[in-house]
Amino acid sequence: MIDRGEVIRMARLARLELSEAEIAQYQMDLTSFLISGEKLQKVDVSRVEGTSHAVPVTHELRKDEVGPSLPQDAVLLAGPKVQDGFFQVPRIVEAQE
Amino acid sequence: MKKLANLLETKQVSSQEIVEHYLGEITRQEPMLNAFITVDQEGALTQAQAADQRRAENRPLSPWDGIPIAIKDNISTRGLNTTCASRFLANYRPLFDATVVRYLKDAGLPILGKTNLDEFAMGSSTEYSAYGVTCNPHDRSRVSGGSSGGSAAAVAAGEIPWSLGSDTGGSIRQPASFCGVVGLKPTYGWVSRYGLVALAPSLDQIGPLATSVEDTAILFSLLAGADPKDASSAAAQTFEVPAWDERCIKGLKIGVPEEFFGKGLHPEVEQAVRRGLRALEEQGAVLVPISLSTNEYAIDTYLTLVTAEASSSLARYDGVRYGERVGAQDSNTMFAKSRAAGFGPEVKRRIILGTYVLSASHYEAYYEQAQRVRTLIRQDVLEAFRHVDVIITPTTPTAAFRIGAKQSPLEMYLSDLFTAMANLSGIPALSVPCGKDSKGLPLGMQIMGKHFSEALLFRVGHFVEKTVGIRGCCR
Amino acid sequence: MISYDTVIGLEIHVALLTQSKFLCSCKASFGAPPNSQCCPICLGLPGALPLINEKAVEYATKAGIALNCQINHFSRFDRKNYFYPDLPKAYQITQDTFPLCTKGFLEYYVDDRLVKTEITRIHMEEEAGKLIHSGASIVDSEYSLVDYNRAGIPLIEIVTAPDIHHPQQARLFLEQLRLLLSYIGVSDTKMEEGSLRCDANISLKPSGSNVLGTKVEIKNLNSFRALERALEYEERRQSQVLNQGGIIRQESCTWDDRTGKTMPMRSKGDAPDYRIFPEPDLPPLHLDPVWVELIRATIPELPLERLKRFEAEYGLSRYEATFLVNYPDFGELFFALACQCRAYKAIVNLLMGDYARLAREKGHLDPQRLAELLTIVDEGQITQTQAKDVLEDLFSSHLSAREIVQEKGLEVMGDPESLRPILRQVLGANSELVHRFQNGDTKLLGFFVGQVMRVTQGKADPGVVNRLLRDELGK
Ligand SMILES: [Zn+2]
Repeated sequence: MIDRGEVIRMARLARLELSEAEIAQYQMDLTSFLISGEKLQKVDVSRVEGTSHAVPVTHELRKDEVGPSLPQDAVLLAGPKVQDGFFQVPRIVEAQE
Repeated sequence: MKKLANLLETKQVSSQEIVEHYLGEITRQEPMLNAFITVDQEGALTQAQAADQRRAENRPLSPWDGIPIAIKDNISTRGLNTTCASRFLANYRPLFDATVVRYLKDAGLPILGKTNLDEFAMGSSTEYSAYGVTCNPHDRSRVSGGSSGGSAAAVAAGEIPWSLGSDTGGSIRQPASFCGVVGLKPTYGWVSRYGLVALAPSLDQIGPLATSVEDTAILFSLLAGADPKDASSAAAQTFEVPAWDERCIKGLKIGVPEEFFGKGLHPEVEQAVRRGLRALEEQGAVLVPISLSTNEYAIDTYLTLVTAEASSSLARYDGVRYGERVGAQDSNTMFAKSRAAGFGPEVKRRIILGTYVLSASHYEAYYEQAQRVRTLIRQDVLEAFRHVDVIITPTTPTAAFRIGAKQSPLEMYLSDLFTAMANLSGIPALSVPCGKDSKGLPLGMQIMGKHFSEALLFRVGHFVEKTVGIRGCCR
Repeated sequence: MISYDTVIGLEIHVALLTQSKFLCSCKASFGAPPNSQCCPICLGLPGALPLINEKAVEYATKAGIALNCQINHFSRFDRKNYFYPDLPKAYQITQDTFPLCTKGFLEYYVDDRLVKTEITRIHMEEEAGKLIHSGASIVDSEYSLVDYNRAGIPLIEIVTAPDIHHPQQARLFLEQLRLLLSYIGVSDTKMEEGSLRCDANISLKPSGSNVLGTKVEIKNLNSFRALERALEYEERRQSQVLNQGGIIRQESCTWDDRTGKTMPMRSKGDAPDYRIFPEPDLPPLHLDPVWVELIRATIPELPLERLKRFEAEYGLSRYEATFLVNYPDFGELFFALACQCRAYKAIVNLLMGDYARLAREKGHLDPQRLAELLTIVDEGQITQTQAKDVLEDLFSSHLSAREIVQEKGLEVMGDPESLRPILRQVLGANSELVHRFQNGDTKLLGFFVGQVMRVTQGKADPGVVNRLLRDELGK
């Protein structure tokens, strides 16, 4: 069984507040997920690199040209809390991770 | 669709009449189905009137000008709510159109509404939608599949002639199969992802769903092409709907991977697919038994990668710039509370799993390992295509299951058993109906091809549809 | 007391001087109203995708070449995941495993010694937004305001090996680096605006030991002085701690310029887990070697080469050469003047003297006008003293140097026939002193010259006067 503290650490990293019941649930889910994935661990991959892009493409770079930005009011429109043209956030403290 | 287009062309019917017809169907059936999250009645009618105006002036934008469409609610539509079936984005209105939505608008297609899905496309039944499950039009006690369940059910029920879905591990093909419609997961990069709300960017593709292979191909022709806004679409060309020539079946080498016909496959599904294969063989196709042994690892590889990428792609929902914020004394608590309140259980589960496989002490053993196994899977698939033209398998191990039947997440993840491989290797895969089971539930056949071989998949699919297919619309 | 060796490594973030941002086409300039230079991409809106700015790659490559780096033809982008209100996607697009440039060095003078510091790597990444705190500092602010105008501006991060040995050397390195970056024109390198920022790692080890000590990271040093002072402080603090038998904690800290102390931020023990993985939205970067060579050809003469050239070709002192290198506008002016006047020392004396003072107030003079002045002086038409007057007038009038000389009647009286009567007059009025001179008090020669100069209001050519006086007095 994956350690409960490990689930709590993941939740902190991912900024998810979990209830006790959720922690217990995800502790089980994470455990069974890892058990199910055990056969993956045994595959010999020593001769291959990882794939991040299934269909290789050449990287077309963008020309350095300025295009239109959104108007400020549109940018702020969906903001849960805005002030004087800025987004407002509560006190920033260093996280305990 | 060609008929409908012809009626519009000859002015025997107006776009407004068509849109009103489908709006009527939506009004009638939605209480039973719940395929839509948002119906944009007003917007669709305005667009229909504009289309009629263009027709009146003999300057339609395309042959399909005025034929309405529905869009999966994880594809951005400017000014029209795009919720991703999440509470977090309950009131989110994009400031821009996805590239595919722009293409559809440029072709004159009125957007009737946004269809239901599993939250952020994480799931195989739409049961993880914050807005309720979409029922299967063939049996309302069963799921429509997922995550593009709303898009498939709406087409199957005749609420809309065609729709857009997205497919990360089977999310177009599995619901298409469950609902008895046609659905395509295109070659990775052939359709722009710009505006598709990311689940796992290295696997996600937008694709078409419709009642026939031809309509699916027509819709795909409106979507395909390189988009300068999507760096991963750079290799793409435009797509022309192929001529329906059955001679292509003669001598066609069809790979039949034994691994897809073994344990876990429902006998009735197997029978239906084998019947379709026989029909192809009778027309001169050659069935080649092949092995895709790496499919054994597909689900676990897929889950590792999809959860990892999702944990990162969904990190932006922090309650600062948009979305639903839960107030708190400090920013970190605000993030954690907002995300806890905004996300459903499956999204949280996948974020926890994804964070785990990416975290420093597990990265190599899990994420890195899965990326490498992905390479082996891709090599396995591409090797198979050196010997065969297409590979045919069942789309899903079973027909549509009952709502609430899948109790554990792992059980649910197995829905992607036959479909994840195409996403992992970037190849196109088409699901075509190939009959019904004894309960009258539709069954689907999956046709996979090499990168950018969609034209061939459509041709083969068209033949299957003619010989063993069902009419998708179940009214 | 044990003596310790100091080991310093620097990480420098440089904002590149592109027109548009790194991953979107928003303007990359300073000073606009908050959140007015933002778009779906740099705000991290759902569905938006990044696109790499070609110029940013070019500038990063240029910096790599100028710093003698290996330019990697394959490099890759990664996601660095962490939550912070100024980071719109909650991940930063950066290059972790495969950076653009590796293995370079920078040469610079420490006192009279040319030293070399190794550059470990240079990679590209995106800038975060700007935070404004409601209180005096981040910790005593109830809330903060976020402006995303800066978010997505292209940065390069330059990382040195830990082979800098004292705080002054760190400053000299950074000064040289800044000069080099401004020479190649990739950044405006304004430390006060944050377009050049420096983090420093410092540790102590017993003299001669090969084992590195525990390092402390000092963040956000925003001036050369702050860098040197902070390192001096930390050097002192660490040696005190060690000498008292204490242990250095591995931590990050900030520098408080006001109190002159470093303040711990967090201990590195619980450094964040960034869960870095390859960015799926961006294909890897394959640079064409031919393109790299084209960029190499655009690199101008770099500061150190230029310094050597001033010394070797023009015979300037290190001090003079350094002045001309550090102020490239003066360096360019020097070159323009040196084409027309071979009195290099006279040129540099003029430029470093009164000219520098006046030019800083009023801007540079047209090189042609200045060259004329130098020629007149070189030809002996006016004296150095007079030249100063003319120079002042060059800045305030539109006349040429010759015109000013004429207008003021400043030509040197170098004609012996007109000077001789004045000379005799002076000697006649001081017959007592002439007598003393002739009896061996040769120091009086200067007095006589001065008297002649006074009578001629400084116009007399001192050389000619000298010669004539010796003639007269020697009779
Ligand atoms: Zn932008």
